[in-house]
Amino acid sequence: MFKISGIAAIIGLLLPTSLLAQTIQGEVKNDNGKSIAGATVRVEGTGAATTTDKNGRFIFHDLASGKNEIHISAEGFAHLHQDIILSDDKTNPLTLVLTRSPIEVIDIVATPIHMSVMESAAPVSVLAGDALRRQQASTLGDSLEKLPGVQSNFHGNVASTPIIRGLSGPRVMIAQNGLDASDVSRVGPDHSVASEASTAQQIEVLRGPATLFYGSGAVGGVINVVDGRVPTDSTTRGEWLLENNSADDRKLASFNLTTGTDSFGFYADGYWRESNDYEVPVEAELETEEEHAEHDHDHDSGDFTVENSAEKSNGFTLGTSYLFDQGYVGVAVEQFNREYGVPGHSHGDESENVYADLEQTRVQLLGEFNIDNDWVKQVKFASGFTDYEHAEIEAGQIGTIFENQTQEVKVDIIQSPFYDWNGGISFHFKDSDVSAEGEEAFTPPSEAQTIALALMQEKHFGDVLLQFGARIEHVKITADNVLLPSLDAHSHDESEEEDAHDHDHDDETTSSTQVFAVEHKFTPVSLSAGLVWAFTPGYNLGLSISRSERAPSASELLSFGPHIGTGSYEIGSLFALNEDNTSLGLSNEVIDLETANNIDLTFRKTQGNVAFVLNAFYNQIDNYYYQTFTGLYAESGHDHGDDGHDHDEEETELPVYLFQTDDVVLHGFEAQVAWQVNDTFKATAFSDYVRAKVKDGDDLPRTPPLRFGTQFEYQNEQISAHLDITRYQDQNNTSINETSTDGYTLVDASVSYDLEVLNHDIALYLKGTNLTDTEARVHTSFIKDIAPRPGRSFAIGIRGYF
Amino acid sequence: MKKSFQLNLVAASLAAIFLSGCGDAETKIVEKDPIEVPDDNDDHDHDHDDDGDDHDHGDEYTIESLGRLAVLSAESNTTTLYDLDDGALLDTFSLIYDGNAITASAGYRFAVIASRNNDYVGFIDSGLWREDHVEHLHDYQQAPVMSDYQLNGSSPTHIIKSDDEMIIFNDGDADAGVSASVEVLKDTDISGETSELPHIDYSINMHGVALAHDEYLLSTVRRDDTETTSAGTLPDQVAVYHLHGNEYEQEQILDITCPDLHGASQNDDYIAFGCTDGVLVAHEHDGEFEAVKIANIESVGSSRIGSIYGHEESDSLIGVAGGSLFAINPEVNTMEKLEWQLAEGVSAVSYAFSHEAEYFLVLDSAGYLNILNSHSHDGEAHWELVTSIDISEEDISTMPEDMSFSMTAAQNGDHVYVADPIAKHILQIDLATMTIEDDIEIGFSASAITWLGIAEEAHDH
Repeated sequence: MFKISGIAAIIGLLLPTSLLAQTIQGEVKNDNGKSIAGATVRVEGTGAATTTDKNGRFIFHDLASGKNEIHISAEGFAHLHQDIILSDDKTNPLTLVLTRSPIEVIDIVATPIHMSVMESAAPVSVLAGDALRRQQASTLGDSLEKLPGVQSNFHGNVASTPIIRGLSGPRVMIAQNGLDASDVSRVGPDHSVASEASTAQQIEVLRGPATLFYGSGAVGGVINVVDGRVPTDSTTRGEWLLENNSADDRKLASFNLTTGTDSFGFYADGYWRESNDYEVPVEAELETEEEHAEHDHDHDSGDFTVENSAEKSNGFTLGTSYLFDQGYVGVAVEQFNREYGVPGHSHGDESENVYADLEQTRVQLLGEFNIDNDWVKQVKFASGFTDYEHAEIEAGQIGTIFENQTQEVKVDIIQSPFYDWNGGISFHFKDSDVSAEGEEAFTPPSEAQTIALALMQEKHFGDVLLQFGARIEHVKITADNVLLPSLDAHSHDESEEEDAHDHDHDDETTSSTQVFAVEHKFTPVSLSAGLVWAFTPGYNLGLSISRSERAPSASELLSFGPHIGTGSYEIGSLFALNEDNTSLGLSNEVIDLETANNIDLTFRKTQGNVAFVLNAFYNQIDNYYYQTFTGLYAESGHDHGDDGHDHDEEETELPVYLFQTDDVVLHGFEAQVAWQVNDTFKATAFSDYVRAKVKDGDDLPRTPPLRFGTQFEYQNEQISAHLDITRYQDQNNTSINETSTDGYTLVDASVSYDLEVLNHDIALYLKGTNLTDTEARVHTSFIKDIAPRPGRSFAIGIRGYF
Repeated sequence: MKKSFQLNLVAASLAAIFLSGCGDAETKIVEKDPIEVPDDNDDHDHDHDDDGDDHDHGDEYTIESLGRLAVLSAESNTTTLYDLDDGALLDTFSLIYDGNAITASAGYRFAVIASRNNDYVGFIDSGLWREDHVEHLHDYQQAPVMSDYQLNGSSPTHIIKSDDEMIIFNDGDADAGVSASVEVLKDTDISGETSELPHIDYSINMHGVALAHDEYLLSTVRRDDTETTSAGTLPDQVAVYHLHGNEYEQEQILDITCPDLHGASQNDDYIAFGCTDGVLVAHEHDGEFEAVKIANIESVGSSRIGSIYGHEESDSLIGVAGGSLFAINPEVNTMEKLEWQLAEGVSAVSYAFSHEAEYFLVLDSAGYLNILNSHSHDGEAHWELVTSIDISEEDISTMPEDMSFSMTAAQNGDHVYVADPIAKHILQIDLATMTIEDDIEIGFSASAITWLGIAEEAHDH
C-alpha cells in the first residue's frame, strides 16, 4: 500500500534540502474518522519513532526539510506509507487515514529494505504479539507451523524445525536478530534449534530465496527470531507468562523486561520449561499388520506415550544499550540450556535412552547510527559471537559431542535517497568452526568462512514499487581431516553366500582409513528483482524473480558415517561409488554450486473487510544436493541387538545414502483469505501446497502434504476466542524407500480473558490442542512411524503485560 | 598392530580446480597419511557369546595391542610416542616449556605433560583408546596428536590417578597471591575439551593432595598459621568434599589432624595420607568418613612417611620413609617395615605396582629392578623380594647428573618398561618370566616414560 502523492500530504514547494529543523504534528484516524490510539509512526531511515496518544495524535521535532517518508502501522489496519515534503519554518499539521486490514501486517525488521506481508515483492510473514504467544511451542518448527508455506518436520516435540515450501536443513537459515543461530540444527533433524519462541518479540519468515539478505544458507528461506535484547529505547515494559499443558505435563514460565534511564536501556528475559514424555492417542510405534495382530492384546491399556520425548530447558538474556540522539549501541549476553530426549534414538534396549544436552552462549552487539548526511542516512551493525555445544549422552556416557563456534559481523549502510532510490549496501562476514567428536561424528570438523557484499534498492515509479538486489559472496570451507574409511557395504538383494562369511574371525583384520585435507572455495552470486504494482486502490500485484546460488554445506560434502537421527549411513558428495558399486572413493564429479531460479507471483487485496494474499511459486533448483539411496547397507558401528544369535542382521545396519546432485523443481502455492465480519468476529482460511521432484524423475522425500484450514476468531474488549481447524491431506508423492502417510485433521481452540489489575494487563487463557484426539503422523518427520503428534491436550496459563 | 603407520609419509596430492557458471567453485583435496582402524566389517555369524566377558579379544571391535609409550626427552623439550607392538616411532611433539613431568591420564589415552613452574598441564592424545558402546567395547587406533586442550592452574604439582579420574592439585603461589585449587578430569573431558571441570577453589595456597572415592573427594586443608601443626605450605587436615554441579563442596573435616601432610594413596576401601606422626587412614561408611591414625613404628626413626603407593587390588599400601619401605595395612591398622630394603648407598629412583598389583616394583639407582610380592598372613600382607633384574650393562657411574633410570608399568598385562638414559634405549620386561624380552632403541636419553593405551580392567570387583 504505497501512496506516493497522498491526498492528505502537505505538498510544499520543492525547496532545496535545508538543515533547519522541522516539526510534524499529525493525527491518525480510521476511515470512519475515529482516532486510532497506539499506532506506531516512524520516519523511515532516521530511527525516529513514536506512538499515537489516545486522541490519535503524534508529533515529531527536528526533522530535516525536504522529503520524509512516514510509515504508520497499527494492529488491524493496513500500513500506510506516505512521503511528506517539509518546507522550512513551518509546523506541518497532518491527518493520516488508515484503512482496515483483516490480515495482520507487521514489518520485517532485519532487512535494509521495507518488507511486510502486504507490501513487498517477495512473500514474507510475521508472527508476533498475541498470535505468537498462542502458537509458541517448545520448538521453533512447531511454533511456526500454522503460517502459510511453513510446516514442521515434527521430531517428537523436542527438535522440530521449520520447513519452508518443502525445503529445510542447510537451505533454511535460522537467525536470531538477523544473525545466524549458530547451532547444529541444520545438520540433523534430531538437533534442536538454539532459539526460544517464548521470549521472542516476533518471528519473521521469508519464504523463497532470501540469499540476498542472509547468504548461501537462505536459498529456501529464512526464519528470523527477533527480540529486544538490545533495547532501542528505555520505556519500561515487560511481559510474563505461566503455563501448564496436560499431554506432556509441560510447565513453562517466561518473562521479558525492558527499562532504563534517558541514555541507557536495560533488558532481561528468561524462561524455564520442563516436560515429560508426551501422550499420544495410539501406540506410538506404527506397526505392520502382522505385528498388529500379535500385539492386539496390549491395546486396551489406552495409555500411550512417546518414550524419551521429555524436555527440560531454560535460558536467560541480559542486555544493555547506550541510547543517544542519533541511535543506539548495545550488547546482550544469552545463556541457553536444553536437555531433551531423542525419540527413536534408543538403543534397542528400551531402558537405554539417548538424550541431548545442549548449551549455548551467545553474545550480540547491535547498533544503529542515524547519520543523515547527503550520502548516508543510517548505519546499522550487528555482530555476534556464539559458542555452542551439544552432547548426545547414551547410557550415562557422552556418545558424541557437537560444537559450533561462530563469529559474525553485519554492517548495513542505508543511503540517503538518491534520485528517490532507497536502500543500501550490506557487508557480511561469518566464520563458523564446527566439529563433532564421538561415535556419531558423521561429519569431520570443518571451518566455514563467508565474506559477502550485497546491494539492495527500491524505488516507487507511480503505482509501481521496484525492488532489486545483488549479492556476491565468497565461501571457504576447510576440513583438515576428512575420513574415507573402507566401507564394506553390501546389498541385501545379493546372494548372501557370495558375501563371504568366510572371514577368519580370530584373525585381526585391519583396514586403513584414507585421510584428506579438503578446501572448497565458492563464489556464489545472487540476483533478484521484483515489483509491486498497486494497480487499483486496495489491491496489488507482486512479482519477484531471483537467481540464487548456494555453496553446499560441509555435511553435504564431507560426511561419512552413521547418523542415527536420520537412520541412515550418510556419505557426502565428495565421495562416490566405485565401479564395483559397493566400495567408495573420491568422486570425479565437479563440486559445484547449487542454483535456484525462482519466480514468485503474489496477488493481494490489502484493505477492506475482506483481504487476501495469494502466492504461487515455481522454483527450479539446478545441481540440488540431496541424498539418494545406494541400495547398500552398512553397519551402523553402533549395533544394539547383540543379544545372542537370533538378531536380525538388518537391525544393526543402516541404508547407505549418498549426496548427489540433480536438477529439481518445486512449485506450489499459498493462499490466505481473511474476512472481518464485524468488529468482533473474523474468519480466516488458508491453504498451502508444494510439489517437489527431481526434474523428470522421482519425488523428493518428506515433502509436506497439501494443507488447508480455517480460523474463527472472536474478540471483544475482554474475551478473545479462537478455533483453528487444519486439514493435512494424504501424502502419496513419495520417494524411493519412503512410505506414504495418511491425512488427518487437527482441531485447536483457545479462549482468553483479559482483565486489568493495578494498571497491569492480565490475560487468563485456556488452550486445547488436537481436541479430537486424532492419530496424526507427520509426513515430513524422520520419525513419523514412531512419534505421532501429541493427543488431546489442554493448557492453562496466565500472562501479564505492563 | 602389524601394519605400521608410515605407509606413505609423503602425502599423495591430488588437486583439482573446477570453474563453472557464474559463481566459481573450486575444490582442493590433499591426501594425508591414512589411519589404521580395526576392521569393523566382520560379519555376524561368529561367536557372539556375549556373556559379560569384557575381555573377548576376538571381538570385532577390539584391538589387541601392547599399547604405546610416551617418552619425555632429557635432552630437549620433546615427547616422543612409540608403538610398543613394533617399536616404531609414531611422532615427536615439541613441548612449550622445559621442566616437564609426564604421566598418563586416568584412562591411559593421553600423555599428561605438566610444567609446574609455568602453570601448565597439556595433553598428547596417544590415539589408542576404547569407548564403551553399550553393547560392545569399541577400540580406536589413530595417529597421536597434540591436544589443543590445556589447563593453566597455578603450580600444578601432584597429579594423581584416583578412582578412574585424574586429579590435579594446583598448589597456588603465595608470592602472586594465588590460592590452591583442585581439578578433576576424565579422558572424555580432555577429548571434549570441557571448559569447566569439577573443582575446588581454596582461599589459601598449599602443597596439597586430593584423592577421589566414588563421588567424594578427600582433599587437604591448610589451616591458618596460628592453628596449623604443619610447617610451610603443607596442610595438616583432610576434608571430605561432595560434588554439587561443577563444584565440590566441603561436607566434613576429618577429626584427626595430619601434621606436615605429604604423600597420599589409596586402595579400594581406604585412603591414606602421610603425616610426621604416622599415617592418617580414612574409610567411608554410608557417606561418612571415619579417620584413624596409624602411628609411626619405632623403625621409622626420625624420618617420616612422605610417599605412599597403593593399588585398588592391593590390601596393603607401601609407604616410604627415609628411603626405607613400610607396609601399611589399613584393615588392621598396622605398619610394618619390609624385611627387604635397598642396600646402603643405593637409592630408589622409581616405585610402582604392576598391573593388578601382583608385584611391587622398585627401580634403583644401581640399575636393578627389584620385584616384590606379598603373601597374606592374619590379614597382614608381608612383602618379599622375588628377584632383582639387572637392567643395565653400562657403567652406572657414567650416569649424567640430573638423569636416572625411569620405569612405567603396562596396564594391560605384566609388562614393565625401563628407560636407560646411558644406553639410550627402553627395555621391555615380562614379569611372568622375569626376563628382559625386548628393547627399543630410542637414540636419546629419556627422563621419564609413561605407558598409554587400552587398560584391561582388573578382573573382580
